[in-house]
Amino acid sequence: MNFKWIISCFMIICLTLLSGCWSSKELTDLGIISAYALDKNEDGEYVGTFQIINPMNVPGSLQGGASGQRPAVTTFTETGVNPTELSNRASRKISRDLYYSHTSLLVISEELARDEGLSAILDSMERALEFRATAKVVITRGIKAGDFIKVLTGIDQIPAENVLKTLDSTEKLYGENINTNLQEFIQSLTSTGKEPLVSGFSLLGDMEKGKTMEQLHSTDFDAILEANGLAVFKEGKLVNWLDGEKARGTMWGLNRIHETPVSIDWENHKKAIAYRVIRQKTDVSAQMKDGKPAISITIRAEGDLRTVAVPVDVTDPHVLLAIEKALGQEIKKEVEAAVQEAKENKTDVFGFGEKLHQSEPDVWKKLEQEWQDVSFPELDVDITVEAFIRRTGVRNNPYLFDLEKKSD
Amino acid sequence: MEKARISASQLFVLIVLFQLSNSFLLSLGINGKQDAWLIILIAMAISMVLFFVYYALYQYHPGILPTEYIEELIGKLLGRTLAFLYILYFITIASRVLRDIGETLVTFAYPETPLFVMNALMIFVVVYTVYKGIENIARTGELLVVIMFLLILSIFLLVVLTGLIDTSNLQPVLENPSTVMKTVFTETLYVPFGEIIIFTMIFSYLTQPKKVIKAGVLAISVTGVILAITMALNISVLGVMLTSRSYFPMLTTIQSIEVGEFLERLDVFFILVLVIGGFFKVTVYTYGAVIGTASLFKFKEPSKLAYPLGIVILILSMIIASSYAEHIQEGLKVFPLYVHIPFQVIIPVSLLLIAFVKNRKK
Repeated sequence: MNFKWIISCFMIICLTLLSGCWSSKELTDLGIISAYALDKNEDGEYVGTFQIINPMNVPGSLQGGASGQRPAVTTFTETGVNPTELSNRASRKISRDLYYSHTSLLVISEELARDEGLSAILDSMERALEFRATAKVVITRGIKAGDFIKVLTGIDQIPAENVLKTLDSTEKLYGENINTNLQEFIQSLTSTGKEPLVSGFSLLGDMEKGKTMEQLHSTDFDAILEANGLAVFKEGKLVNWLDGEKARGTMWGLNRIHETPVSIDWENHKKAIAYRVIRQKTDVSAQMKDGKPAISITIRAEGDLRTVAVPVDVTDPHVLLAIEKALGQEIKKEVEAAVQEAKENKTDVFGFGEKLHQSEPDVWKKLEQEWQDVSFPELDVDITVEAFIRRTGVRNNPYLFDLEKKSD
Repeated sequence: MEKARISASQLFVLIVLFQLSNSFLLSLGINGKQDAWLIILIAMAISMVLFFVYYALYQYHPGILPTEYIEELIGKLLGRTLAFLYILYFITIASRVLRDIGETLVTFAYPETPLFVMNALMIFVVVYTVYKGIENIARTGELLVVIMFLLILSIFLLVVLTGLIDTSNLQPVLENPSTVMKTVFTETLYVPFGEIIIFTMIFSYLTQPKKVIKAGVLAISVTGVILAITMALNISVLGVMLTSRSYFPMLTTIQSIEVGEFLERLDVFFILVLVIGGFFKVTVYTYGAVIGTASLFKFKEPSKLAYPLGIVILILSMIIASSYAEHIQEGLKVFPLYVHIPFQVIIPVSLLLIAFVKNRKK
């Protein structure tokens, strides 16, 4: 009997002791960071800016009434000699514990990326327990990273979310930007046969006005965040920007194009035919040709015609074949320009080195040391593009035919 | 030895859980870079030979514990010393595994909780289970193996669904055959495969001793294949560089899972596998040590030894290394060569030779 009493007492004590966690933190004590920006100041210290979610002011929360009056996020800036120092020092300004688990965006300024590189910073992100390797990385162009995350955005009210969704949709629909997360970046950074690519972002308009709630009270925002170009890294430092067709050519080479428009000239009409790629497959293979490494890129694109602003008979398969050929040439031109640019910069952004390593490990062992600077620029790259037009939309011939008859 | 009986299928379950445990989470054979999965398969095949050696020894002395038949084989003084050394070996490895689990939990999930608390909580459960005896350990295993397989299966499935697998990371295959063989013989063969030597303490509980070989070989193949797939998965998702830089590559792989924008941050899977597997490993080792001590010192109630030995293991797990890096270095550099090889290979093989010669004389 006595024993039973001891057991029940023990159980009750256990109940009180085991009901919580050792390192528990209440939700109301956490400052949830949505975006984290890093710059460097004149003293050589890091300047970190935290974009922290205001739980009360995010639309959709229970106190929905408060939204619209105050911004959905608040930012704090702190300096420190390294990211760890910086993060703990920020507690002097922020009333809650910084919580990194939901940080989905890491913003780094162009200056920092160019002068110092990211190698020194990323270790603390990778090593940290809470910081997610799936957080996306972007580089700001012509604006400080800290200022970049202070700008309020409209459709998605949390600016970090807005940037992420923009990046996602532009990669999917246009293909000049790439969605790189921390893990992919470090993978390419440490690989000898590949260099990382990161999307650039710039700000259109007036930064000062973009920070205030006034911004959200108008249909035409004073400041807009725009995905802009691809940053090329070498040995962890930003060395070059790829824009326009070079950026898209690179994305073709990386097999990262999903949907993208391709426009060609037709019968002296400039950019009269537009084709939209629906799906594509890029195969890159490395082989030895006359004792030298050679790369062949084969692209197969499928898609529809979406604009035919020239009287051309698109019901005729022979005409379509001719258009397909011209489209293939157009895509090939973009990829060639991208490969040329990469060779001039001595940065193997396509990962040709990795391909060579996989198919010819013995050759790779000899070339690995000087791959980026010597072997890659001399590489023989053969590009084959096949474009297929599967459909022409819900109309057969363009109405321009009828207009022509009318004018006759 | 306690009066208990387990079936061959329960032995299978125990070996599977024991071998998967923390090996599932660590980077096995990463010295061989992208050939790590191959290393695991080769080590698995060779470890079957070791298993046959252990089984053959048992066949010469059915129904009794190794601590007893060592004495029969090489005489009282030497045999008892060796048996005592084996018990120390089991205790040391138990404390190393306990330290492993504790360190892993503290490193990534509970940074502010002292390591001692982690280890103490774990050893409490272990001591209780060991106190209850081998039948209960086996039955717990039957229950938990289902959860373990479901977890592993869902991890594999979710990684595939996320579309992260890039099999080109696994090429070129067999880039460095000499490194592959070296890693097999200096690391992977002994941890986790050679650790199966602890099951020699359990063979004599089997209801159908003839099925030991079938259950063992099946269990080794299942775990070998699962571990090989795991490493192949880690490398194809993370790449060789990141995998070799991670203490727990499986954690990073699980963290990269993103299915449908809501199935992500599944770190809890990692913790579950760690705790279930680690619990079994420590339990089986502790049980081996307890039962061995009881038989060596002619102790009538082995289960009562669970408490003192549990405390020894707990304290040993705290003083065994001052940092995680030191602990890992010991596990990779010191233990395989100076501890695992003698205890897992040299002594059993020479004992088998002695047993063979002795039996032929008869």
